[in-house]
Amino acid sequence: MLHRRVYQFLIIFALGLGLLFAIKYVMGLSDYVIPSPSGVWETGKETARRYFGDVGNTLGVAMAGQVISVFLAGFVGIAGRRATWFGSFIKVAAYNVQAYPIVALAPILFILVGDGLFTRLLIAAMICYFPVLLSVLGIMSEPVEDIEHFYRATGRMRWQLEVKIRAFENLGKLTTVISGSATLAFAGTIVAEFIAANAGIGYSIRIALYQSDMGKILVALFMIGIVLSLYQGLLELSGQAVRRAWGGS
Amino acid sequence: MIPSASVIGVLAIVLAAAWQPALAEEEAVYRLKWLFNISVAGGLYADTHGYFSEQGLSVVLKEGGPERDAVRELEMGQALFGTASADQVIRARAMGSPVVVVAQLFQVNPLQWIYRPGELRIDRLEDLRGRVIGITYGGNDETIMRTLLAKAGISEDEVELFSVRYDYTPFFQGRVSIWPVYRNAQGVILEDRLGRAGEKTAFFNPADYGVRFVANSVVTAEKTAGRSPDLVRRFVRALLKGWSEAMDPKNSAETIRTLRRFDRETPENILSEQLAVTRRLVVPKDGAPIGSIDEAAWRQTEQIMIEQGQIQEAVGVEKALRPVF
Repeated sequence: MLHRRVYQFLIIFALGLGLLFAIKYVMGLSDYVIPSPSGVWETGKETARRYFGDVGNTLGVAMAGQVISVFLAGFVGIAGRRATWFGSFIKVAAYNVQAYPIVALAPILFILVGDGLFTRLLIAAMICYFPVLLSVLGIMSEPVEDIEHFYRATGRMRWQLEVKIRAFENLGKLTTVISGSATLAFAGTIVAEFIAANAGIGYSIRIALYQSDMGKILVALFMIGIVLSLYQGLLELSGQAVRRAWGGS
Repeated sequence: MIPSASVIGVLAIVLAAAWQPALAEEEAVYRLKWLFNISVAGGLYADTHGYFSEQGLSVVLKEGGPERDAVRELEMGQALFGTASADQVIRARAMGSPVVVVAQLFQVNPLQWIYRPGELRIDRLEDLRGRVIGITYGGNDETIMRTLLAKAGISEDEVELFSVRYDYTPFFQGRVSIWPVYRNAQGVILEDRLGRAGEKTAFFNPADYGVRFVANSVVTAEKTAGRSPDLVRRFVRALLKGWSEAMDPKNSAETIRTLRRFDRETPENILSEQLAVTRRLVVPKDGAPIGSIDEAAWRQTEQIMIEQGQIQEAVGVEKALRPVF
């Protein structure tokens, strides 16, 4: 699965790069607008090691942000699953926070928590958690009547049991959403680094943009793609392992 | 009665004149460096006062921003003219982009550093030693500050370089001693804001220490300059007329009125101060016309970029300078 993810990414990247080079040569654009293949290669040789470290840094924060967001979404989803006043309040708060643009929230975050690792983490988690939350809310609000009816009828239903039943019955959906949210966590971390950090690949992309260096941006995109493909592949493998362990198949 | 040949001839001329369609204005897109604010006052003035139309041009002014690159748009054919900083032009030339400079808008770079003179006194470059200095990594303020530090013999471990972003909180909190701003835009706003809080501010201008890194200039593609020199001349003439009129103190009220149409967020008193500061940066001190290209400053900018490793070798920047007037 891992190698399939990687070569699929390589095909997509190569197609994109090929299209860019085709535009460059058809329109006769200079290396300033789109660098030549040899220019990209040279830039890659110069920056690959540094950018790989930057992507690793970003991945570490994205993973931590994803874990936070999954827990947060789990908590909000479970608390907000009931049609009570508190459930509705939780949902409104969660939706509203998501509606605010991160660039507008960033200055407030700087004042509250500074401009280091925690801000990156928080922004990554904020961008990542919403889709997970929607899935968790959907799953947790939907009763599994066949099973739950028995426990209700016998008076043995507790909220913990209800959550377990619904999570177990939708394990496939949950693991797919969590694996998919890795992309969002990664994107969220890059956005955070772009606007609020001094480290990570988002920060390096910002510098490359200031220098109008398309070659560096292409190398950064390549690194992000490779690392993200590997990470998502690993998450999918983990999801399958969890499903096998819990579901016995 | 049959009209005479001369009457028919006169009628034919009159009819031909009446049927001749009005001369269409040539269209041109002008990509600015930044959003509509004081730094583009001349362009807005020229546009709203019909100076482009006078030259037979229909010009669309498009706002710039950090993600916009006028040089790229010239090459892609998305704009005919643009405003770009000198480092952008030199970097583009180094990578084979056929961009030329037809006028230099700012004679003094508006990129300066704000600081609190109560906490820090800068009389010489050595006074920067041991300070926390704000820079935008990758931006031209980084290049300028590194040049200044090198000039003063200050190594990087003798100062603390702080990566700045859009928000000024670290400067307000006093965590950073000097912070890069555009002197004529944010500089005035911060000066006013801190002044109202009872704090004094001052500005550190690299040009005072011999570093003249050129800022915004008007650019076009070599192809446009070569094939349509008249078009370029008419555009530059109209634009610089706009700048000259906007910077003329007797037109201050009209300039502010013009700016207010595009920049509603900035209060009038701030705009007035911004205009006064911009005038000092745009109008050449030696009596030369607005828009004059300072070739020596361009060569120095190129030299700085070589020293800072931003370009590998000289690009012969003087070949890119094509003053139109």
